[in-house]
Amino acid sequence: MLKTAILAALSVFICFGGNWLWGQTMIERPLVVGLVTGLIFGDVRTGVMMGASLEAIFMGAVDIGGALSAEPVTATVLATTFAITLNVNQKAALAIAVPIGVFAAFISMFMKNVVMNLFAPIIDKLAAANNQKGLVWAHFGMWFLNYFVFSLVTFFSVLAGAKPVQHLVNSIPKNLMAGLSAAGGLLPAVGFAILMRMLWSKKLSPYYFLGFVLAAYMQLPSIAVAAIGIIIVVIQWQRDKQIMDLENKQNTQGTLATETNISTEDQEEEDFFS
Amino acid sequence: MKITKNVSTEDRKMLNSIFWRSFTVFASRAGATKAHAPGFMYSILPAIDRYYKDNDKAQADALTRHTTWYNITQNVGTFVMGLVASMEKKNSEDPNFDTESIVALKTSLMGPLSGIGDSIFWGVLRVIAAGIGISLASQGSIFGPILFLLIYNIPAILTRYYLTYMGFTLGDTFISDMYKSGSMQLLNKAASTLGLMMIGCMTATMVTFKSKLSIPITGGKPILIQTYLDQLWKGLVPLAVTLGCYWLLSKKVNVNWILLGVLVLAIVLGLVGFV
Repeated sequence: MLKTAILAALSVFICFGGNWLWGQTMIERPLVVGLVTGLIFGDVRTGVMMGASLEAIFMGAVDIGGALSAEPVTATVLATTFAITLNVNQKAALAIAVPIGVFAAFISMFMKNVVMNLFAPIIDKLAAANNQKGLVWAHFGMWFLNYFVFSLVTFFSVLAGAKPVQHLVNSIPKNLMAGLSAAGGLLPAVGFAILMRMLWSKKLSPYYFLGFVLAAYMQLPSIAVAAIGIIIVVIQWQRDKQIMDLENKQNTQGTLATETNISTEDQEEEDFFS
Repeated sequence: MKITKNVSTEDRKMLNSIFWRSFTVFASRAGATKAHAPGFMYSILPAIDRYYKDNDKAQADALTRHTTWYNITQNVGTFVMGLVASMEKKNSEDPNFDTESIVALKTSLMGPLSGIGDSIFWGVLRVIAAGIGISLASQGSIFGPILFLLIYNIPAILTRYYLTYMGFTLGDTFISDMYKSGSMQLLNKAASTLGLMMIGCMTATMVTFKSKLSIPITGGKPILIQTYLDQLWKGLVPLAVTLGCYWLLSKKVNVNWILLGVLVLAIVLGLVGFV
């Protein structure tokens, strides 16, 4: 179990730390974390499939503007670890992952906003002294500290949690299991809702339903929906650009018209709408 | 590309260095007051070293300037880094340069740039990449995660690279010109349209619900609730739950409560034998 715990912690460090050390290249997304954890534990197929399910749930778990939402990396690593090493049913492992993600988000917030505050005065001092070497050390030192502590959380979770989790899963009654499976199916809704908040406007909302109908009734694969979307966007862009250019033109002509003769402007407007 | 060719060799060397360092910009986080200031300072060190050569005092001043709060979507943040480099250059040449304008401009760009960056990279590109990645990965294919990484990262890294140069050469008027001419609004609208369509598509394919409840009929086949739900509107429950979550979010309900709420709802439905 010690070896499993170390490997799981390593997986968190590689994916979470690596993502933020190197350009937010999305290796912290469940889709990739599942693959990495699967590789580490020697079961790529389970890892990739767990990653796919968790990606759908955590798709909207974006740390925008410091809003607290569930933390996907720890959740994915633990769920995948339990699914592979304890042979826990994949759907049950998913349902266990969500509360863990919420708990991990609190630790993440605590590290980011409380512990890391201690470094703020150090940065000020180093800058005032033009100590560039010190700044570089502080920058990467903070990185290591943050993600090392985070990996420890995973380490202890696996070490302490594996037996109780296995016991718990073995004793889950059939009805509860069905509920947990249903939860795995419905939870992505939350993620999509968060994304919609970023993009939703009343005028554009029909496109959401268009995407839904194309997939639900026409059974189109997501690549086809994306292609149709791009075509719509190109058409929309050309038309909007035309309208915008016309408006700009009209505005400049309009100001001229008000100076000379107001009726010309009205006439033009009528021409435009006819 | 033309934009990288109009730059002198030394400038190009410096900008490339800023581009590479910018990958680590969010590695550290110096608390709630500075956020990613250390990463920003590390990224623009090449400019500070170059323009205030052998001037310890000026270098310390420049570094102190940049200890303020910094946070922008990574891939568009390099625009600000290039812009700051060009302003530090002007400052080193002109003794009357107002250094406060550097920080003011940097700060004022964070909001609009993150707004456009978040919606394009997080709301659209990542969603499309994940949508395609998930559909492959859910069958256990390793191409799922690989395709996801490629679809997201190729445009993201190209943007990061060219914006470093654009910030340096086009300067502070570029963004406001984009807004004034209206192309920023067009870009936003295009991104939102595509993003919403993909989210609609994923609501249909990835939010799943199936009721096993059946009503027994004497002398006939039992009626399955799910068949009725499907006849009414395909994916009725997933769509309703998604829109419900959206409604709760817009009422400022905490995300974690909604997550736990959906979990509890599903478990209760399971316990009463609905699913």
